[in-house]
Amino acid sequence: MKTTFKLFAAMFAFTALVACSEDEPETPVIPNEEELITTLKWQLVSQDEQDTLNFLFRDLDGDGGNAPLVETSDLKPNTSYNARVSLQNELENPVEDITLEVAAEAEDHQFFYESSVSGLSLSYADSDLNGKPVGILSTITTTDESSGNLTITLLHLPNKFANGVEAGDRTAAGGETDISVSFTVNVKP
Amino acid sequence: MLNLKQLFFFLVFFAASSLFAQDCQLKVSGIIYDIKSQLAIADANVYSHERRQGTISNSEGFFEINNLCAGELHLLISHIGCSPRSVFIHLTADTNLVIWLDHSNEVLNEVAVSVGRQSQALEPQKTLKAESIRENAASDLATVLKDLNGVASIGNGAKISKPMVQGLFGNRLSLVNNGVVHSGQQWGNDHAPEIDPLMAGSLSVLKGSAAIEYMGSSLGSVILVEPRTMPTDPHVHGAAQYLFESNGRGQVVNAQIEQKAAGLSWRFAGSLKKNGDQKTATYYLRNTGREEANAVLQLEKRYAKKWQSKLYYSLNSSKLGLLRGSQIGNLSDLQLALEQAEPFFTEDDFSYRIASPRQEVQHHLLKVSQLYSLDKNRGFEFNYAWQLNSRQEFDLRRADRGDFPALSLSENSHFWELKYHSQSAKGWHWQSGLQYNLRDNYNVPETGILPLVPDYINREWGTYFRANKQWQSWAIDFGARADYILQNVAAISITVPREVLRYRNEFLNPKASFALSYQFSKNLKTNLNLGYSQRNPAINELYSNGLHQGVSGIEEGDPNLREEHSFKSSIDLSYQPNEHWNFEALAFIQPITNFIYLQPQDELRLTIRGAFPVFKYEQRNALLRGLELQANFDPTGPLRVDANFSYLRGDNREEEIPLVFMPANRIFAALNYQLPSWGAWEKLELQVSNRFVFEQKHLLASQDFVAPPPSYNLVGLKASAERQIANNRWHFFVKADNLFNVAYREYLNRQRYFAEDLGINISIGLGLKF
Repeated sequence: MKTTFKLFAAMFAFTALVACSEDEPETPVIPNEEELITTLKWQLVSQDEQDTLNFLFRDLDGDGGNAPLVETSDLKPNTSYNARVSLQNELENPVEDITLEVAAEAEDHQFFYESSVSGLSLSYADSDLNGKPVGILSTITTTDESSGNLTITLLHLPNKFANGVEAGDRTAAGGETDISVSFTVNVKP
Repeated sequence: MLNLKQLFFFLVFFAASSLFAQDCQLKVSGIIYDIKSQLAIADANVYSHERRQGTISNSEGFFEINNLCAGELHLLISHIGCSPRSVFIHLTADTNLVIWLDHSNEVLNEVAVSVGRQSQALEPQKTLKAESIRENAASDLATVLKDLNGVASIGNGAKISKPMVQGLFGNRLSLVNNGVVHSGQQWGNDHAPEIDPLMAGSLSVLKGSAAIEYMGSSLGSVILVEPRTMPTDPHVHGAAQYLFESNGRGQVVNAQIEQKAAGLSWRFAGSLKKNGDQKTATYYLRNTGREEANAVLQLEKRYAKKWQSKLYYSLNSSKLGLLRGSQIGNLSDLQLALEQAEPFFTEDDFSYRIASPRQEVQHHLLKVSQLYSLDKNRGFEFNYAWQLNSRQEFDLRRADRGDFPALSLSENSHFWELKYHSQSAKGWHWQSGLQYNLRDNYNVPETGILPLVPDYINREWGTYFRANKQWQSWAIDFGARADYILQNVAAISITVPREVLRYRNEFLNPKASFALSYQFSKNLKTNLNLGYSQRNPAINELYSNGLHQGVSGIEEGDPNLREEHSFKSSIDLSYQPNEHWNFEALAFIQPITNFIYLQPQDELRLTIRGAFPVFKYEQRNALLRGLELQANFDPTGPLRVDANFSYLRGDNREEEIPLVFMPANRIFAALNYQLPSWGAWEKLELQVSNRFVFEQKHLLASQDFVAPPPSYNLVGLKASAERQIANNRWHFFVKADNLFNVAYREYLNRQRYFAEDLGINISIGLGLKF
């Protein structure tokens, strides 16, 4: 009985010993969030190359609580612009251009532009290897004075062959939203 | 080489057995009882393999086989409606046996958990046995358990779900696998427990007030996964099974062999499961395949009568596909998905391919036990268990990053335990123990994504006692435990620049339970259960921070959360007016103060992927209450009817609003019909079952993205038979689930946002015992 008890006591002593041997978790490796998109820049150059407009959405802390920085510009009536969207990860040093990743996988990505601005029309100005639009480059034409919202959406793995997708309607596309940013747009002289 | 002494024994033994062999005058007799009614069973079949001869028990349950030779004897005892029992004896003299058969072969009430544990089951308990587990061989643990009253499952897809008992699951429900609390990433609603039900001998749900013997964060109920009892037969025996299911074109193979050789009992079991895209009533669910492999090794040895060693090792490895159309990026994706008649990416063709999104999970459990009996009534037990849980979740990602998991967690846990039990002369049974558990959770830095839960080391020291006694019509059972918990956390900040934040938390959780049972008469019995338990906030509730893709919300932990306190009372009544009828009723009420849950905030947070609703872990006072009813009708004859109903309601009492994720009320009924033997076909049985699940109406429209699905009714059909071929027992069955191919959605299955639940499934199974 005594020996047995000692044996079990020894087993538990061993346990206690192990129990006190380690204290804190090791310092975790801060991940290299190279996939993160912190910044969207949308640049419009009027076709007469007189005007350059910049739109910006920057959210450095991702899903964190700090509000993003949003900058917009005013468009002129009855003007056509060549537009180019670019995506960046500004947490990386040097700043990483995510647009390149999207362009490299053009068949798996598409930008959609939805606007509530009357008289504003938009058409795609680029295409992937299947001849489907990507939407990094586009053309925008304004008519009368007006204002509203314009939402830029980037879908990852949409069905680009689905109904209406080629024309810029995402309803049937499926896919997962990587970017969804809204700007207030004013068209005024 | 045999030495002289061994040779001598060998010769003597040989001589003795051949001496008896010439004799062949031995007799085996016995009485067969029903374990539940305790009545003798007449007309039971007793078959001896060695003699190829059988007999039938008389009206007193008595049987006798004469003219047996000394030596080994295998008996197979069977009766209509019972699972057959094999008995092995080494016959040296006339032997008298008492054999208990289990007549209610599906659901058993209040049977002691396993031999040797000696606990009187004062708490309401339901057990599923190996036979019914095998007929659900392709299902996951939670789905198998769903047959029990009061148990539901919550998950994401048909085969990725976790069990829920009386409204509690995950962090609040302990899963005890072979005496060890299962340790994995239990916080995730779409993380199925990594346990193969096929490897278990029985699955029990204890719906009592407090699970005193087990460490862990249970607020009452416990699910026990118990291994099969070890073999006592010196010959190699085993079982094998094959199952095909039409939905998902799934296949399962499963085999086990066992033996008791030279004092060492061993068993090896393994299973392989595979299925492809599952199908709703009308379309395939793309990327819902699964591949799974499981293995178990069990060893047990007894030395010098007083010592006993046990070893148990199990491996569960699985690859699980998630519905392709369920990966979404923000709320507008969800809105568009909700409007679809069929999920995005649905294809016309079936496929076995498992692409992203998917989970790859491995779980190892190694347990070594050392038992020492001081005498017949007292003993010590030492256990050590190691668990390694590694979980990788793959999403669809840009630029070939899909090859890297988006979530990669590795959790190591070590558990030590020293237990003492004794049985006093006055009938008191006493158990006590000391326990220690270390859980080390580590984010493997390969994801390129901020971890959802931080790295941490959780240490837990616990001690408990439990005592019970039975006298005359009364039985009492009470106990208490205390756990001291130390958490060391190293999190990464969500603000930039990223930095490491360290937290240290201490908690002391008391638990206590009290149960009283009174047998009014032979027909009527009641149990009262009271239990207090406290649960400290889990790591995800404290520190999770970030976007939860699956639910399109930003979830924020709160480092200032305090402990939850639960006080559960339940009373149950069982009444058998005669041998044909059985009624059971259970009612419980469980107020929980500081109940931790995700509260939607008034904030929509703007991110580059759009605006997301913010949910924060908050605490309120909650109240759960439920009612469970069961009736069984077993007239003399081939028919048996079982029916049960469960009702549950959960409320947030501070805001006077319902709690989310509460199972809808449900009714289940099954009708069994035994056909007479037909040639060599025995135990022919037909079963029709019907499950009706009500709509979850106890929920506000603002509490979900879409209203809970309407009620549904599923009909099942099953036919089974057994046949003896030579020395082997074969078991055949055909089963149809959702026979009428009903299109439905289940409230607790998150996949309901995107797709319907499973359509008809026909399974064909073939089993062999040798």
